[in-house]
Amino acid sequence: MAERLSPLGAAFRPGMHGGPGAGPGVRLSEVTPPSIMEATAWPGRKGALAEAISAVTGLSLSARPNAGAVSAEASAFSIAPERFLVCGGAELPARLAAAITIETGTVVDLSHGRTALRIAGPRAEWVLSKLFAVDVAPAAFPVAEARATSHHEIFAQIQRTGPDQFDIFVFRSFARAFWTMLCDAAEEVGYEAAG
Amino acid sequence: MSPRRARSGGLIDRGRAISFTFDGKAYTGHAGDTLASALLANGVTLFGRSFKYHRPRGVYTAGVDEPNALVTVLKDGVREPNIPATLLEIHDGLEADSQNRFPSLDFDLNAVNQLGGPLFSAGFYYKTFMGPVMGPLKGTRFWMFCEHFIRRAAGLGRAGYEKDPARYERMNAFCDVLVIGSGPAGLMAAEAAALAGKRVILAEQEPRLGGTANWSGETIGGVSAADWAEAMAEKLAAMDNVRLLARTTVWGYYDGNNLAALERVADHLATAPRGLPRHRHWSIRAAKVVLATGALERPIVFPGNDRPGVMLAGAAMRYANEFGVLPGERIAVFTNNDSAYRAAAALRKAGAAIVAIIDVRQDISAAARKLAEEAGVAPLTGHAVVGTAGKRLAKISAQRFDAATGRLSGDVRPIEVDCLAVSGGWSPAIHLASQAGGSPVWDEKLSAFLPPEPTQDWLGAGALTGAATTAEALSAGRRAGSAAVGAEAPSSALPEAASPTLDPFPAPVFEIKAKGKAFVDLQHDVTADDIRLAHREGFVSVEHLKRYTTLGMATDQGKTSNVPGLAIMAEARGLPIDRVGATRFRPPFAPVSIGSLAAETHRHLKPDRLTPMHDWHVERGGRMMPAGLWHRPMIYGELGETVEQAYIREAAAVRRSVGICDVSTLGKIAVKGPDAAEFLDRVYTNVFSTLPIGKARYGLMLREDGIVLDDGTTWRLGEHDFLMTTTTANAGKVMQHLEYLLDIVWPELRVHLTSVTDQWAGASVAGPNARKVLEACITGTGLDDAALPFMGIVHGAIDDVPVMICRLSFSGELAYEVYCGAGHGLHVWEALVEAGAPYGIVPYGLEALGTLRIEKGHVTGAEMDGRTTARDLYLDWMLSKKKPFVGSALMDREGLIDRNRIRLVGLISLDGQPLGGGAHIVEKGSLDDLGASIGHVTAFCYSPALQKYIGLALVKGGKARHGTRAFVSDPLRRRFGPVEIVSHHFFDPEGRRMHG
Amino acid sequence: MLISCPYCGPRDLSEFSYQGDASRMRPDAASTDIKAWHDYVYNRPNPAGPHREYWQHTAGCRAHLIVTRDTLTHEIHEVTFARAALRAVGGRP
Repeated sequence: MAERLSPLGAAFRPGMHGGPGAGPGVRLSEVTPPSIMEATAWPGRKGALAEAISAVTGLSLSARPNAGAVSAEASAFSIAPERFLVCGGAELPARLAAAITIETGTVVDLSHGRTALRIAGPRAEWVLSKLFAVDVAPAAFPVAEARATSHHEIFAQIQRTGPDQFDIFVFRSFARAFWTMLCDAAEEVGYEAAG
Repeated sequence: MSPRRARSGGLIDRGRAISFTFDGKAYTGHAGDTLASALLANGVTLFGRSFKYHRPRGVYTAGVDEPNALVTVLKDGVREPNIPATLLEIHDGLEADSQNRFPSLDFDLNAVNQLGGPLFSAGFYYKTFMGPVMGPLKGTRFWMFCEHFIRRAAGLGRAGYEKDPARYERMNAFCDVLVIGSGPAGLMAAEAAALAGKRVILAEQEPRLGGTANWSGETIGGVSAADWAEAMAEKLAAMDNVRLLARTTVWGYYDGNNLAALERVADHLATAPRGLPRHRHWSIRAAKVVLATGALERPIVFPGNDRPGVMLAGAAMRYANEFGVLPGERIAVFTNNDSAYRAAAALRKAGAAIVAIIDVRQDISAAARKLAEEAGVAPLTGHAVVGTAGKRLAKISAQRFDAATGRLSGDVRPIEVDCLAVSGGWSPAIHLASQAGGSPVWDEKLSAFLPPEPTQDWLGAGALTGAATTAEALSAGRRAGSAAVGAEAPSSALPEAASPTLDPFPAPVFEIKAKGKAFVDLQHDVTADDIRLAHREGFVSVEHLKRYTTLGMATDQGKTSNVPGLAIMAEARGLPIDRVGATRFRPPFAPVSIGSLAAETHRHLKPDRLTPMHDWHVERGGRMMPAGLWHRPMIYGELGETVEQAYIREAAAVRRSVGICDVSTLGKIAVKGPDAAEFLDRVYTNVFSTLPIGKARYGLMLREDGIVLDDGTTWRLGEHDFLMTTTTANAGKVMQHLEYLLDIVWPELRVHLTSVTDQWAGASVAGPNARKVLEACITGTGLDDAALPFMGIVHGAIDDVPVMICRLSFSGELAYEVYCGAGHGLHVWEALVEAGAPYGIVPYGLEALGTLRIEKGHVTGAEMDGRTTARDLYLDWMLSKKKPFVGSALMDREGLIDRNRIRLVGLISLDGQPLGGGAHIVEKGSLDDLGASIGHVTAFCYSPALQKYIGLALVKGGKARHGTRAFVSDPLRRRFGPVEIVSHHFFDPEGRRMHG
Repeated sequence: MLISCPYCGPRDLSEFSYQGDASRMRPDAASTDIKAWHDYVYNRPNPAGPHREYWQHTAGCRAHLIVTRDTLTHEIHEVTFARAALRAVGGRP
């Protein structure tokens, strides 16, 4: 089958850019996984949904607000009171659809609809704070947790996937614009755009 | 070394010389200088011309309160006016110009304004220029005549026309405690909170932390106060949980302990590194705020108080102590309180001669007397300054003064001076506290407003709360810092501060009434007489006074003039000051660059929203146009084609053979759940529960008030699985409407909604050969009428990419919408174009799309304009009578079924000319008497199918007018011409082509 | 102004959309009582003081909230999920 194209196009310019010169403050990359599924539980069924997702992905996912989990193969995080975003391999959509019955909730395939952009490095919190009015300090925003917020018109779901690493999920049609803004915001500290 | 620079002392770096220009003349200063201190050190006393009278003005303060010394900074080809020289750090290559002078600062033709003083008195504009024309010299028309001259003569700096190339950014910050002000109180507060392990931000508007410690000349903890402050700053900077923000003015205190600050990141740098913003707008959310904003000195108002060489006593002391600069060599001090005696002693110590201390009080404290001795002069008590002389201050005159009655008596004594240091007492800087909420409290003994009782989470410390000594500030700062984090105060001993025990209370003297112009607001040239004139003319409310005289309305927002102005008004009204009331402080505390407010949107105002096929369109000559945030091809222009030629060619190709159009922008919402069908029945006017799986249906939605909201097709993909499409423009609105209904109106329904607009790329393949094109590239499904009837849906693959195809038509032709995953969109699009090549497939843009739909009479947002009903658009066949739906209760109200409403019709131009969008329809054919409008054109085009200019319109009576004639009237575009009103179904009204 | 979303935590006002007065009652869907519909769609008491309002966290979790806000001071007394609250009373506010 044809390869899934990146929405970044010519805006993606690999290599080092900006900054004072002593190494990049952040690394920026596109990390859209093969599959992105949105799973939503009926009221009172979020725990069951979290269990079903955990069973499929091998993650240990809680039903707490903003909770998430990350492994090498998959990640998942809560983005709304009864809703998760689940990322994984090509087999995920079918397995998730089978595991989540209509009594628990519904799943929607967003593998093409969302683009994941990663910002990593010692100045990731600083650059992210230019764009989002959420507290990104580790105590307020621990690893694996997620936040749903926006940068002006661009809706963003952010999961902290490492101590200094965040994956930002944006609507695909906004990905190029947001990538450009992200690069622009990172210019002060210097960034490496990597594939 | 410059003439006025002391050999030693101060915090400047004498080892580093810095070159800059002022009005084109080269000067040097030192690292640590402001433009004001560096120019003073060079013997410059004239900094600018005043607002109305063009009087020469010098520097009056040493900080953010500066009313006079405003300059224009020229950087990177951009002029930035009205920057206080007192806040402007010099750097190599700095270019600054004085303002409001012509032809030069030294010789100003407009200084003649001061001779006609009364001409520019309070309310000058209103009196001279408002109202009807009465003779040649009054009225609005006279204003229009004079405006040019007055605008040139009066005013501050001139803004530039160049685009600002600087970078501006926003920063969002969160902390447990925000400490504002880094004087002794602020430093102690920040330390106490930081030691408790809390996240602390300390903001200081000046480049150097320390506040008064940098120039008080006191000792703290056994070392010079400045050294103590530096050590504290270093200690705080080394703590992970503290962020120090120098050059950062907190200018707004909003609800929810949200504060706004401006950091001047790069203004002080000769060249800023790439990527570094010039200014950073900080939006700070603080659990607690400690306000340690200190106090601002205020002047005494007396005639000639604006002459260059007159400045505030604390400022004179600061120039001597912090910058090693003497503002004069023969200095007199004029005061109503003890604090100025410290200035006298400090200036003497720095090398100036103190020729007089003139004090309105009869009795002064022992500590003050001792400081006078240090200054080497016997205070002239019970006296006041009644006048000044010299282009630059050369002489003052003093007279005996009774502070109780305000009466002057005895001989006028001239004293030769080159600087007069004035103190009228201190006003706590309550601006942010007042912004936070509550009314300031007048303190009679301090003659000052104290901050209100907090209504938000803040604590005050130091001079803000009326503390008179550094020792008080240190302990109050620590207390506030600890209280803010709910911790015990640090156990270490408080650093000791040695300050003289001065009398903290000034004599309540605000003005010396003698002959001559006595200025209250130096920046707006408002005199004491202006205030009294305003009072005589009936302006008694302090808010009216402010607006009528413009007192306190300039860029300094009356930091020095507020209290004196109120005191003069209070006296005129015969009321105590607290009964006159204070104006509420509003953001910003100090001027804010507009660039910083635009921040990162400075360069890209709105994000571009792109379809998966965007680059293809651009490469093929697609002329892109905005549709909301989306970019869509308007036409694909070929060489030498006009827009009209292009869309006619594209639309004709669709009708003749086949075309392809990017419809990825259509809103798409996944509607899933056991109650999805029931939900759709309630939100659409027609029935969806009967829709079989694998079929689509056109649906119409109303608002609760019965007006049309949106239309689109919804596809049933499974028992509990629908894909709703909306118009491009209304996708967000419809989503919100549906979410509202599910959350609020029918919370019991089990339905989930997800925006899948971006999941699917969509291509509409339309035209008599559309099926042949698809058949050439599809696998896995048949496309004949049996496999894919009108409004049917099939799944297949194009070049191995899974696709979903729905047979529906917006153009009226045989047409298919082909959907695939967005990441495969370009691939499938190119496969379709390739498959269409034998049929001459043509990509078509919005103009052709619009043309095709006008020919068919399909409505879009132009007709569903938020005012029209389903009946207005002849869509009443879609209003189900079997069930209630959103809007069904109110859609039949009297006003909405009135037969005279404007309803949808078609128009044919009878003179072969285009119809203009928005043009009115009138019945009379005479340009002299058009009669009333009976409607308007909503869309128009040249129809290649009809070979005519046609349009859609909303016209009174609608169908009843079919076959009649009228006229379009569009005076703006000089278009007037005859039209025939016809059915909006221009082309193939039976729909044979799309079913064929 | 900040609104404390029960899911996302305190967020800036700009993330939310005002969705109207939460004290109004929608008539039964089949009701033909025009006055009741008028009251639902148009008539608002506009109180000076505490006011129950719907706000949607459009730029966050997208949940609708019931916010009790003092129109004089902007003080927010209470924020709850609208859907959960309305389910508990059988919907149709």
